[in-house]
Amino acid sequence: MTGTTSNAPLWRTSLRRIARRPLQTVLFVIGVAIGVAMMVSIDLANRSATRAFELSTDAITGRATHRLVGGPGGLDQAFYIRLKREIGFEAAAPIVEGYVAIFALGDQPFRLVGVDPFAEPPFRSYFAETSGRLVDGGIAPLLTEPGAVVVLDSLAAQAGAAPGDSLNLDLAGASMPVTLVGLLAPADDTGRDALESIVFADISSAQEILGLRGRLSHIDLIATSEAELEPIREILPPGVRLETTAASSNAVRQMTAAFQLNLTALSLLALVVGMFLIYNTVTFSVVQRRPLFGILRCLGATGGQLFRLILGEAAVLALIGSLLGILLGILLGRSLVGLITRTINDFYFVVNVRDVTVDPGSLARGVLFGITAALLAALVPALEAWRTAPNAGLRRSALESKVTRLLPYLVLAWGLLSGLGVLLLRIEGGLGPAFAGLFAILIAFSLVTPPATVWLMRRVIPLVYRLFGAVGRMATRDIIRSLSRTSVAIAALMTAVSVIVGVSIMIGSFRGTVITWLNQSLQADIYVSPPTLTANRVEGELQPEVVADLLDWPGVVRAATARAVQVRAPEFGRDLRLIAVSGDVSNGERSYAWLPAGWTHADVWQALKAGEGLIISEPLVLKEKLTYPPPPVQLATDSGLREFPVLAVIYDYASDQGTAWIDVVRYQELWNDGEVSTVALFIDEGIDFEETAAQMKAHFQGRQDLIIQTNRTLRENSIAIFDRTFAITSALRLLAVIVAFIGVLSALMSLQLERTREFGVLRAAGMTVGQLWRLTAIETGLMGLVAGLLAVPTGYVLAWILIYVINVRSFGWTLQMHLEAGYFLQAIGVALTAALLAGIYPSIRLGRMVIATAIRSE
Amino acid sequence: MKAFFRFGLAGLLAILGATGLWLWASRPDDREGNSAIAAFLSDPQPAGYARALTPGGLEFPRDFGSHDDFQTEWWYTTGNLVSPDGRPFGFQFTLFRRALAPPEADQPAAAADSWRTNQVYFAHFTISDIANERFYFFEKFSRGAAGLAGAQGAPFHIWIEDWQVIEQPDGSRRLSARADGVALDLTLRQTRPPVLHGENGLSVKGEAPGNASYYYSLVQQQTEGRVTIGGEAVAVSGRSWTDHEYSTSALDPGAVGWDWFSLQFEGGGEALMLFQIRREDGTIQEVSAGSWILPDGSVLSLAREDWQIDVFETWTSPTTGFTYPAGWRLRIPRIGLDLTGTPRMNNQELNVSTTYWEGAVRFTGTLDGQPITAEGYIEMTGYD
Repeated sequence: MTGTTSNAPLWRTSLRRIARRPLQTVLFVIGVAIGVAMMVSIDLANRSATRAFELSTDAITGRATHRLVGGPGGLDQAFYIRLKREIGFEAAAPIVEGYVAIFALGDQPFRLVGVDPFAEPPFRSYFAETSGRLVDGGIAPLLTEPGAVVVLDSLAAQAGAAPGDSLNLDLAGASMPVTLVGLLAPADDTGRDALESIVFADISSAQEILGLRGRLSHIDLIATSEAELEPIREILPPGVRLETTAASSNAVRQMTAAFQLNLTALSLLALVVGMFLIYNTVTFSVVQRRPLFGILRCLGATGGQLFRLILGEAAVLALIGSLLGILLGILLGRSLVGLITRTINDFYFVVNVRDVTVDPGSLARGVLFGITAALLAALVPALEAWRTAPNAGLRRSALESKVTRLLPYLVLAWGLLSGLGVLLLRIEGGLGPAFAGLFAILIAFSLVTPPATVWLMRRVIPLVYRLFGAVGRMATRDIIRSLSRTSVAIAALMTAVSVIVGVSIMIGSFRGTVITWLNQSLQADIYVSPPTLTANRVEGELQPEVVADLLDWPGVVRAATARAVQVRAPEFGRDLRLIAVSGDVSNGERSYAWLPAGWTHADVWQALKAGEGLIISEPLVLKEKLTYPPPPVQLATDSGLREFPVLAVIYDYASDQGTAWIDVVRYQELWNDGEVSTVALFIDEGIDFEETAAQMKAHFQGRQDLIIQTNRTLRENSIAIFDRTFAITSALRLLAVIVAFIGVLSALMSLQLERTREFGVLRAAGMTVGQLWRLTAIETGLMGLVAGLLAVPTGYVLAWILIYVINVRSFGWTLQMHLEAGYFLQAIGVALTAALLAGIYPSIRLGRMVIATAIRSE
Repeated sequence: MKAFFRFGLAGLLAILGATGLWLWASRPDDREGNSAIAAFLSDPQPAGYARALTPGGLEFPRDFGSHDDFQTEWWYTTGNLVSPDGRPFGFQFTLFRRALAPPEADQPAAAADSWRTNQVYFAHFTISDIANERFYFFEKFSRGAAGLAGAQGAPFHIWIEDWQVIEQPDGSRRLSARADGVALDLTLRQTRPPVLHGENGLSVKGEAPGNASYYYSLVQQQTEGRVTIGGEAVAVSGRSWTDHEYSTSALDPGAVGWDWFSLQFEGGGEALMLFQIRREDGTIQEVSAGSWILPDGSVLSLAREDWQIDVFETWTSPTTGFTYPAGWRLRIPRIGLDLTGTPRMNNQELNVSTTYWEGAVRFTGTLDGQPITAEGYIEMTGYD
């Protein structure tokens, strides 16, 4: 037969089926599309954020190979002058930079970059290379006029700004005028993207604006050999480091790696749910065509032909779905990129993303994943069709008994996969294996769904019979009898709902932990700080006279100041957030992850006050894989490297990069920096601190550079930031709900529609339309309930993994699991609602059926 | 006084300023031609600056330093050197200052650590390795702030980053500059007081009043030190010539180029400076002038009609294709001088932010019928 047969008639049966059952095809395509869309959107948004960061970094780094960096306050410009006058190092350029807001040009933060145009040529000549030029202005006003700035021409055009315009620049709340004296017009688009969030100024203006008189942020160098750097190394003052530019930008990029991987994993979770959807749809299409396939096999079609037919169908539909998915993904990515950027800005560094960059690689990956997932999902039913003997194919019962025989093996598979998952989770440190373990356990739970369903159904039969009578018993038995189809639908729904439960518990626990932590650690009554462009880091400084005023304020019984800076921790190969404090704001309520044996809170703070060492945060221990008791931490001070013993480890959720605290006096000795970032005030018990805060606000009215918050508003704001951070996770959770909903809708609808003939017989036997409705509702309701119930333990396990494995490895935070009945009720609710809604359409159709037509084939 | 070229450079800087300084960084080959500079020079922006209007008033050491109220200023040292075994070298070291904006009356003095300034400095430094016919030239830009570049009269110190001329405790000046394995380290000793050009230091550059500069020279400076090329240091000695000139407005419209001669005679110690400004039509502007400096330091001012220069040889640069004079017969009947001279080597063309020829020359001939030889430097701009 081979060689002479054409596959065309087989394919025509597929087309005819699609034409007759368009709904199922549409749901298949949607399943793939949503899964792919989620993956593509996350991927695009992640990449856009990374690319924006790299572009702006490259724009600033230019051709620099090395960089001289100093302590928290940058480095003394005198060193640059020495470099030029004593060593005559030609390729060196000073940079003074900081983040500012210029609302006339847009809401996003801008990077104000102060350069010396005379030192620039070897470094950043993209202006020249691209034949772009500085138009409508010139070098003279840039150098001579205080506050003169230059921005990208299109940025100015968008904002309706023209050279000569005076704009308001906002630095940590302090407002000052700047003048736009010129526009940059790079010739190529890459140059454009890079410059979109940069405001250039002469170094003199930048120092004046940023209040960095005599200081440089860093010095860029170009050196082709180590020998060229030798003269610099010889005169390198303590506190100044020479590093490669690649190392510094890589360190920044590494910060978000875990965050981005988590998002990718969440998007993969969506794809797994999507796979169930596809598996479900393909299985149905096979199951429904079993009689047809039986006939085809009898007519001489080989099992291989059927196998190819089913996979071919799946591939074509998956391709359509994937293409739709990438379109949807691009649209979705546009919204997600804002959320991702927000979080990166809050927690890591300032980056501006104007739009998603449509990366062909991401799209290709999306299509590849979509088709692979669909083919994998279709593989089992396709193999099933291949292996079924021609005559058996005609009998439904053959399939069902096979599924029943399979049940013990599914339990075994559950055990094996769970074991594998646990093993994967136990692999130390790795985030990749942890996610693999998570997926293994999730799949294990979905495999155990059919046996669990049978077990549960058998238990509920008496109850359902008592409640709904014969119809109820019929519905229950139906589910068991059609296990090949019902179990898949239930598993799909269960998986989706468990993801919702798991993520909800994780977010809820996180939130609860943060609230507890805020309540414990923020005991002072009033907090004063300069406003910042980023939610989570105070980068500005308070004016000394303001600090003095605050400390002398009537009713203030105690005060603590804090100065937050970044200092180099050479052992960790990166900068560490160091907070110099004059006291504790937690009133001893803080909880410790580690204390030296026999020490109390008071001992720790006494030792800190005496300048004996540092307190570090838990994420630092986990991120740098420190052991307990933590070894001393090495920091680069202005007078060179120093080791600091660790006095205690505290829980801290403000940064996943780790934080260290030091006594302010010790800090000022070692780093020549007397600035204050935040003041925390304890008000006399007898005085209403809300009232005091109001008085302070009135006193400092008009001062944009101060934010006065009571501990209540500070907590509220912190929680608002927290919620904003998890907006992206919530968005993904919502998408998972949609996928689940569509999945269960498609599965149950197909299931019911497929039973047209069966219902025809029942109607013919005297069943009323009302009974039919009830039968459908009970059946779908039971399925939803089972899915919901199974989702509870699965969701709990997922949450456990997310909280105690993924979160700890990604961010180093120990979270307390907070369980609320609401999460589980919500899960069951979603499952039930979806299931019941799915029953409505088939019920309507079945109710309207003409009995004679339905049973004609009988 | 190389006013034309130097005005030109300053002008070029202003043009660059108007179009984007970064542009000149990795400079493309479409360099601004000198005619563009001339065009710029006919459009000076003198408002707010001091002008060179009245003769006299120069005082030393005060006027060795910078005059920030004038728009443009330069210190220009050239010299002819020889090693003990007779290997000849030429060198040029020039520091230019250009104000981007006139000083404001109520402007507070900038703090020493401030980068804010109106003053831009740039410098050219060249060495002519005559025996090997190799010409090395370098350029540097910086700002007159934060200690990066500047000029002061007493003690004398002019610098741009690590290139500088600084007064030594014994009153001599030490000149040092280096780049890419090429270096100059020379000590210059003044042998006579500054020579004031023009009318008591006021050197007229154009027909319009105020188109003039203050201009003096230190000639016949005894020079010794080291020249380093490719890491090899050679002891040298010889004679140097330093110009210092400051002004605000530039030349008249129609000027296209500039020839400047500085010759230092062997034996008696006379010196000669001549500048002639060329017009588009090939004629020489009437304000072109010169100084005949006698060994006792007295100066005889020369007017345009006093000299006759005939070019008998030209050289075309293989780099730019510009053709420059490369052989001169110079006659000044009034003082009985008749000289013939050529460049010590042809390629002494600087190809930096502007292109010009400035190189070591040697002249021989007669003074009052007696044989005489001179070494010096010639600068030629506006050739193409």
